[in-house]
Amino acid sequence: MSTNSLPMFQSIDAVQNAFIEQNYIADRALALTVKLAADLEKPILFEGEAGVGKTEVAKVLAATLDTPLIRLQCYEGLDANTTLYEWNYARQILAIRMAENDNEAKTKLETSIFGDEFLMNRPLLEAIRHPGPRPAILLIDEIDRADEEFEAFLLEILSDFQITVPESDTFTAIHKPIVILTSNRTRELNDALKRRCLYLWIDYPSAEKEKEIIQRRIPGISESLANNVTDVMQNLRSIDFYKRPGIAETLDWSRALLGLDIETIDEQTLQDTSGVILKYRDDVERLKDLGIDVLEKPNTDQQG
Amino acid sequence: MTKDRDYADLSAEQLLGKTLALCRLAKEEKLNVTPARVLDIVRTLKSIDYLVEEDYRLAMRVNIAGSKEQEIKFDRIFNRYWHRIDPADGDYKPWRPELIKGNKQYGDNIAHEDMLAEIEEFGEQETSRRMNLLNRWDPDQPPIDKIIKDLARKLATRPSRRQQHARNGRKIDIRRSVRKNVRHGMDMLELSRVKKRRRKTRIVMMCDVSGSMDAFNPFLLQIMLGLQQELKNSRTLVFSTSVTEITHMLRRGTIQNALHDVGDTVRHWSGGTDIGHALSIANRGVMTEGSSRATVAIIISDGYDNGQVDKINAEMQALKRRVKTIVWINPMYGASSFQVRAQGMKAALPYVDHFLPAFNADSLKVLVRDLGRI
Repeated sequence: MSTNSLPMFQSIDAVQNAFIEQNYIADRALALTVKLAADLEKPILFEGEAGVGKTEVAKVLAATLDTPLIRLQCYEGLDANTTLYEWNYARQILAIRMAENDNEAKTKLETSIFGDEFLMNRPLLEAIRHPGPRPAILLIDEIDRADEEFEAFLLEILSDFQITVPESDTFTAIHKPIVILTSNRTRELNDALKRRCLYLWIDYPSAEKEKEIIQRRIPGISESLANNVTDVMQNLRSIDFYKRPGIAETLDWSRALLGLDIETIDEQTLQDTSGVILKYRDDVERLKDLGIDVLEKPNTDQQG
Repeated sequence: MTKDRDYADLSAEQLLGKTLALCRLAKEEKLNVTPARVLDIVRTLKSIDYLVEEDYRLAMRVNIAGSKEQEIKFDRIFNRYWHRIDPADGDYKPWRPELIKGNKQYGDNIAHEDMLAEIEEFGEQETSRRMNLLNRWDPDQPPIDKIIKDLARKLATRPSRRQQHARNGRKIDIRRSVRKNVRHGMDMLELSRVKKRRRKTRIVMMCDVSGSMDAFNPFLLQIMLGLQQELKNSRTLVFSTSVTEITHMLRRGTIQNALHDVGDTVRHWSGGTDIGHALSIANRGVMTEGSSRATVAIIISDGYDNGQVDKINAEMQALKRRVKTIVWINPMYGASSFQVRAQGMKAALPYVDHFLPAFNADSLKVLVRDLGRI
């Protein structure tokens, strides 16, 4: 089996710099995890609240390495057929019918009916068969939403990077894909799966990091608005809402404010745009009750 | 922060020895350190500049930890090992410089900070409050695995959009039928059928382990262990005046190990009761995860409460919106003289879908039967 012979990242700093070029601010822990995953060919398991940028890591990594991102979105009931391969039955039947009166074609078809022509690659097989030159990024998103049976099935794939199609062949990874699993922790994952992965919990960003993200991701935003947004978001995260806003909400809100041509955030603006930040009715009501308090600069000595 | 040794002066061989010792320590502290992981760590060290202490720590942590809690635990073990900082002396600071700003002890990492605060709270009372749950476990109790499975089946009523192969299915599975009939020259001699899957229910169980529930501890322990081992998709929380999630502990090997871990961790066992607070934590955490249409909340409590009744009311209202069904099991209910007198119970009752009695395996069996009739 070939491995990822191409050097991808020379150092942790190189990962951070490459990510910054894609406008993603990676802290040292994240950069180190990505480097180790590439060097050791181990999958990464990112856990964290929704909207902290777990999925984005995979997208950025694919863009950085200029390699395809193959995404497998997990859901309850996801099974091997949907994730590995399927035979194109309609085409197979058509080919059989067409070859019925032609002996030569019939003989030829006997060997090719389960060939590549009729095989439809699904994400896992596609990632394994990716020809390179760099390994593909396989994003297995929200693994906690899939059934435990699927998790067990995944273990086998992640150990061997090999898939056997009984009618055809055994496919072994030409370049082992860089596998990124994400979980919102709606349930505990199997220990066996965790053991095979490098683990990192991605948390909400610090104020400085959040401001930098806003400025990098939303060109044209003024420094004062970026400061205001950061302060309010940091304040909001210290309140026990049902769903605390993540960095995705920060960016959405900043875009909304920029689009509305708002430079200063007052109580009315906050109430009017609260639907961009908070996704539960109770939380929106709570924000109304809190009023102007959340607009005050966070007290860094007592926050949290 | 004083160091017992200058880290950078260590030779590679010395560092390897220290690394292995640290792995042993982490294993003693019940982190999942396996020989394969130790090998991974050694391989990892080749890939980084291990003389940079932070990189060395992070590289070990990504290999050893498997959850946020384990990340915190590993950081503590690491600090204790390399810097002789014991978490009990209150001098502990997490080793992430980006988190330490101004006078903030633990930085702005809200989730970690909450968790640390909760752990710090126990402080010196750790030993006195540690509970030997094996004393409260009755090994002669009849098994309840089947009852739990029946319970889950009764609560799982939602058909999924996904189909599954079934002999008695009404719909024909064309793909499977075609594949089956290739050998008959595409004459449809055998038909495959499918029916809709039944969605698995996600059960979130909240058990009251306050002093007033002590008499029912053997039953509580049995149902918690049974549920967690039978239904992998479920979560278990225990509450009194604090709340602790014990899902992962209940899945740990033998009953003895699980009870030992729970007794070791849940220091508020046999305390007072604050149902409103417990619901509030659950509503902001575990209840917001996963689909509300597939979640059933089971609360096992007598409803005696020291907290605010208004809070119970508000949080039950919120819970009602977040889950499909609320089942309240009250072990007191079932006694002939039972009346809803507890304030907490009175406040919660309007939002409860099924209010049922259960206090042992036999009564649980009756409960499952009753659920079928509802």
